Amino acid sequence: MSIQQTFSDPLIKENPVTLHVLGICSALAITNSVTSSLIMSVALTTVLVISNMAISLVRHHLPSSVRLIVQITIIASAVTVIDQFLKAYMPDAARTLSVYISLIVTNCIVLGRAEACAMKSGMGVSIMDALGNGLGYSLVLIFVSTIRELMGNGTLMGFRILPLAHEGGWFQENALFLLAPSAFFIIGVMVWGIRSWKPEQKEPADFKPLPMPSEENR
Amino acid sequence: MSKDSPQKALLIVALTAMICSTLVSAAVVMLRPVQMNNQLLERSRNIMQLTGLLPAGEVPDDEEMLALFKSLDTRVIEISSGRFEHEIDPHTFDKRRAVNDPELGLRIPPDLDVASMGRRSRYAPVYLVWNGDELDRLILPVRGSGMWSMLYGYIAVEDDLSTIAGMSFYEQNETPGLGDQITHEHWLEHWRGRRIFDDHWNVMFRVSEDTVAAGSEAVLYEVDALSGATVTANAVTNLMHYWFGPHGYGPFIETLREQPPTPAGAGS
Repeated sequence: MSIQQTFSDPLIKENPVTLHVLGICSALAITNSVTSSLIMSVALTTVLVISNMAISLVRHHLPSSVRLIVQITIIASAVTVIDQFLKAYMPDAARTLSVYISLIVTNCIVLGRAEACAMKSGMGVSIMDALGNGLGYSLVLIFVSTIRELMGNGTLMGFRILPLAHEGGWFQENALFLLAPSAFFIIGVMVWGIRSWKPEQKEPADFKPLPMPSEENR
Repeated sequence: MSKDSPQKALLIVALTAMICSTLVSAAVVMLRPVQMNNQLLERSRNIMQLTGLLPAGEVPDDEEMLALFKSLDTRVIEISSGRFEHEIDPHTFDKRRAVNDPELGLRIPPDLDVASMGRRSRYAPVYLVWNGDELDRLILPVRGSGMWSMLYGYIAVEDDLSTIAGMSFYEQNETPGLGDQITHEHWLEHWRGRRIFDDHWNVMFRVSEDTVAAGSEAVLYEVDALSGATVTANAVTNLMHYWFGPHGYGPFIETLREQPPTPAGAGS
């Protein structure tokens, strides 16, 4: 696989959210505003790059018995440092995202890429892989949050786009879009859309449903 | 030493732990002053907007805001006795930490714990705004259990110690689009001019179950319901009843009524 593909495949073809269905927790929790999504995207991509880089660097020295512990220690350190930076220089954003920044530690995309790529590849490939997956995650977050913030508040990044009915405009906002379940629906529709467009992403059925028993045999 | 030997494993784990903990500690220590400053600035903004001292229409920059906040008359009170406590420095007192401190905090008796807090600090910082020698506004911190987490806010009362001058919630996790309306200005503005107490100093303030009709008796004490957020609305009513009741600021309000305070420096 070429280095360009390492970067571009995770955008849609191998998207961590829509294909592997990883990182759903934060994709549900913080996508009610585009601003939070952007900050979360940058934070996750940074963590991913740092962790992939560090793990790729030490991969030849990692005994397999303790490799998960070491990987998680590296990831958790990167996350804590970024959390501290956000609290210092973007306090408002840190307050909105609260615990979700620290929860990047448990985001399966990060450990997934460490195991699947950084443990086996050189520095360059690992960084491109991290950037690609970070960007793939970011695309989903930004797409979902654009819909949610627009439908739920009539704003984008806090700027009024659709004038609200109770403030003299015409737009009736729908609070459902501000609640986590709406992200489930939107991501579900996205997965369906992408898999209809790229049928090779469809997973084989795990089982065949039994035929319905006929009336007499029931 | 082979890659998978126990010695190698221990060595790698120890090295990783050392390097990572050094990096994390360095980041925490170096960024702590900036973070503390942010917290102070945030608190200054929340409190200053309730003082009525900010020039209308313009927001002071960070330096000015901190200077204004530092010039505010800030004191610590002992909540149960309602007296000023001069031993504690109000600028370093941490009311959150005090809640769970065995010395500084106390358990609220369950039958009095209408705001479901479990414990509270024995002391509270209060902010006094003066108009010459007369008390103009009093700003008090309040909190209470909301739908999902604790609500934290400040309330400003006028010199009659009953009329609300302003309210703000600075930390909450209520349901987006429903309960989080408590932070919206178009709801909070209804608080202004409402009264907390009736003529006999019983706590009457509450969040109504529906829209408060103009001209009714309720208009004195009630603000409009939050549509779709009954739990949050009740939580707000409960926290007001706790904090202005006998186990909250009741004794302090009584002290102030009996013995009006004087500006700092004039002896108190």
